[in-house]
Amino acid sequence: MSLLETHGVSVRFGGNVVLDDVSLTITPGDVTGIIGPNGAGKTTMFNCVTGMQPLASGRVVFNGRDITGHGSGRRARLGMARTFQRLELFLSLSVRDNVRVAGDIVRANTRKRIDVEAETDRILGLTGLADIANENVAGIPTGRARVVEVARALMTRPKLLLLDEPASGQTEQESERFAGLLRGLAADGIAVCLVEHDLPLVMSLCSTIHVLDHGILIASGTAAEIRRSPAVIAAYIGAEGAA
Amino acid sequence: MTTFLTYTALGLVLGAVYAIAASGLVLTYTTSGIFNFAHGAQAMVGAFTYYQFTVAWKLPAWAALIMVVGLLGPAMGRLQHAFIMRGLRDTEQITRIVVTVAIMLGLVALAQWLWDPQEARVPQMLFGVDRTITFFGVTLRYHEVICLFVALALAVGLRALFVKSRLGVLMRATVDDPDLLSLTSHDPDRVSAQAWMLGSTLAVLAGVLITPVIGGPLEANALTLLVIDAFAAALFGRLKSIPLTFLGAIVLGLMNSYLVGYAPAGWSWVGNLRQSLAMIVLFVILLLFRNERLRGAATRSRERYEVPPVRRAVMWGAVFVLAVMAFRQLIDASSVGLLQLGIAFAVIALSQTLLTGYAGELNLAPLAFSAIATIAAFHTGIHGEGLEARLSLGGVVVGVIAAAVTGAIVAVPALRLRGLYLALATLAFGVFVSSMILRDIQEHTLFGRTFAIFPNGNLLFPRLALGPVDLADDDVFLLVSAALFAGLGVGLVALRNGGYGRRLAAMKDSPAACAMLGQRLLWLKLSVFAISTAIAGLGGILMSMSLTSVTKDHFVFTVSLSLVMLAVVGGIGYVSGALFSGLVAGAGLTAVVALLNNAATERPEFDGALGVVSHLVLVSAALTGVGVAQNPSGILHDVFARHRTLAKAPEIRYGAIVAQCVLYAFAWSDVLGTTSFVVLSLILWLCLPQIGAALRPAKILGDRPARATPPELVGIDSDYPSDLASRLDKRLGIEEGVARVIA
Repeated sequence: MSLLETHGVSVRFGGNVVLDDVSLTITPGDVTGIIGPNGAGKTTMFNCVTGMQPLASGRVVFNGRDITGHGSGRRARLGMARTFQRLELFLSLSVRDNVRVAGDIVRANTRKRIDVEAETDRILGLTGLADIANENVAGIPTGRARVVEVARALMTRPKLLLLDEPASGQTEQESERFAGLLRGLAADGIAVCLVEHDLPLVMSLCSTIHVLDHGILIASGTAAEIRRSPAVIAAYIGAEGAA
Repeated sequence: MTTFLTYTALGLVLGAVYAIAASGLVLTYTTSGIFNFAHGAQAMVGAFTYYQFTVAWKLPAWAALIMVVGLLGPAMGRLQHAFIMRGLRDTEQITRIVVTVAIMLGLVALAQWLWDPQEARVPQMLFGVDRTITFFGVTLRYHEVICLFVALALAVGLRALFVKSRLGVLMRATVDDPDLLSLTSHDPDRVSAQAWMLGSTLAVLAGVLITPVIGGPLEANALTLLVIDAFAAALFGRLKSIPLTFLGAIVLGLMNSYLVGYAPAGWSWVGNLRQSLAMIVLFVILLLFRNERLRGAATRSRERYEVPPVRRAVMWGAVFVLAVMAFRQLIDASSVGLLQLGIAFAVIALSQTLLTGYAGELNLAPLAFSAIATIAAFHTGIHGEGLEARLSLGGVVVGVIAAAVTGAIVAVPALRLRGLYLALATLAFGVFVSSMILRDIQEHTLFGRTFAIFPNGNLLFPRLALGPVDLADDDVFLLVSAALFAGLGVGLVALRNGGYGRRLAAMKDSPAACAMLGQRLLWLKLSVFAISTAIAGLGGILMSMSLTSVTKDHFVFTVSLSLVMLAVVGGIGYVSGALFSGLVAGAGLTAVVALLNNAATERPEFDGALGVVSHLVLVSAALTGVGVAQNPSGILHDVFARHRTLAKAPEIRYGAIVAQCVLYAFAWSDVLGTTSFVVLSLILWLCLPQIGAALRPAKILGDRPARATPPELVGIDSDYPSDLASRLDKRLGIEEGVARVIA
């Protein structure tokens, strides 16, 4: 049973076709990867899914419900969360408050009595941010700032977690730890989807991989299938696959 | 038919002048990203200068035109760009707005100083009123025909400039990416300076042309508000498109003209409606705009604010109330009113701390909401007659709710859009309140009830009585106002430290990320806007109670703008910034000017010089806002930062408290005058970090490690060891020893 389905999604910027008839699915409990060369439309795909980019045509279905016309906030309240390629942290808040405010928002929306403090501590521990919790978020290195974005997204208890290039700016050690975190989240039943340039990471982590090139979905499958796919080798992996 | 054609022609002429003004506005906005609120004020200065040249100094019109349009216009634009606009990169929208608002207030103050507002100046049409041309039975004067032709030439010229010319393409590129432009060996500064010069010239041209078209004398405030008509026209083109801006200007001009021509004679309020037409059009257009898309835009701006913990805020609140009460003992009863007014203004300014400082939204007309609250409280909450009249608590509540509801209604169309539109909408609303609601002074009958919104143009506003507490007593009122400000201030700090405040900060920093966490942005904005206008309403009721008699001049838009500007100058993210703003706008300036006037009465021989000084005080106070480009976090932010260096030397602070008490004792026993006491106290606290550094350098400066000079600045001042030098020589393939000789 898939959590998210896109049906024939197309996006145009002026006369430029950025996404052309893309249909893909994301299932809970899996880590799904979207890869492709620069300008392939990966981030635009995320924007379509999260309601930040209007579609020229196509539909987005989430949890069995057509959400094509919904705004970003509404999609988030249905259980979608994302991080941003060009970090969107709340720069006047501390690391802890960046995470905590997500809990504040959920509490205000659901009017449930959630213990935001305790939940913040739990997420900070889970993501390994406890040591810098009281620092101003504007001063921390990019690699850890990306983890703050993930922690913030987790505070909303999402069903679907979309990560836009989460490993860029991370050291090798950080990204290994990060891969472990994502596996754990998937094991908890969250659908994790990432756009990533770090191919070894994607190949080792993702059970399903979608490959975009020039706005067209050229292949979908497991890491092994993607490695063998002639279209992918021709369009993208060609040079790197040989290495 | 001829009547219709005549009104159409006159509407087109007015539209043409609006178009000239609006296209200048669009030009500077699209090329610098800065919306010039001073545009109308520049037009006003142009109109007055032209009048001065032609009528007072009897220069021929062509010479005056060359001086004003050819020299003054470009010069003003160039100066503006050189001194101010370049410093505004990486600042928040409010900082940009405040800088141009400061220029606007400065120009208005300057004009009222140079040209006595009491004197009527009626400018003449170019070529006089007798030179006419008749066309299809419509008689137009040469002046009006010139307006049409200038606008037409501009429409064609500007379109060509943007689309065809190299300069136009460069101008557009400057907005998109100035750094990229400089990489291609162009100078973005020079390009935007040219745009500002052109924009300013168009403002001046519109100023010279408009007054004879509308008729009547030159009026500084009215001309300054030309900017609102220009906004409305520019909004047709979304502040971008020149052709649509022209269309908007023509539509506005025609509506104006038909309203005059065809409104039934019984509609006595049409004159007021004409003045608010632009504002109504502006709101309709805002409603028609589509929602803006969420985009990631978390850029780091230069503004910084520290959030104090609630406990510290409570302590400072108590200190404030005590200080006000202690200060009360030093001043005579006649000055208490001024202090009350200052605190009332500070409460109004608190609305800005919440709205702009915490949430990043804008409101340029807080006093308009104060006026709404005052009117609502006046109509519902007064009992008793004459000296026995009192305001009931119910009246206060109704007033505050009215302000909040009005705030929400005003904000709805603009909240979906960028901050700038909200600023425009609130400013337009402020003008609407001034020109329609506060001018509704005649009684009229509607639905069987006879009433006037603002009876006789002067409300006698009694003070609140609540059980045994009667605010008619000045001292009680002062205490209650001070306690109210302190309580609201602490409340705001607590709010900012809580979940709601964090959500506001998140929305301010990154709306896109905030929405992606599930926040309903519209509701959050709406709620914070309503809360802030409620505070402005409460402050307004305080203000009216302290004045006890209010007219429309107390709520005029320039006072609103000064208050907003001073709050930013003080530090919009701080409760103390609001206090600074309120005390300066409500009490400080009046006190200084009164002081100078007293001095002038005592020493008539210095009358002229002191008069100049008091005008200079007003102009420079208006211009303080220009400084925020250098220091966008506000004065108090720096003061606090410097005071933090004293944390390690508490004895300095204790010493200062003792010194303050001594000063107070001197003032209390009349050894020191009140003014000297205030000045000395300010010097004491502002210079304390320096005093501390001088007295306890080891504690305050000592721990700070002396910053090591980086090696690349020290350079290498020792010789290479000889073996290294010869190895280098060998690698470089030069004869041994050559390098050393050169060195």
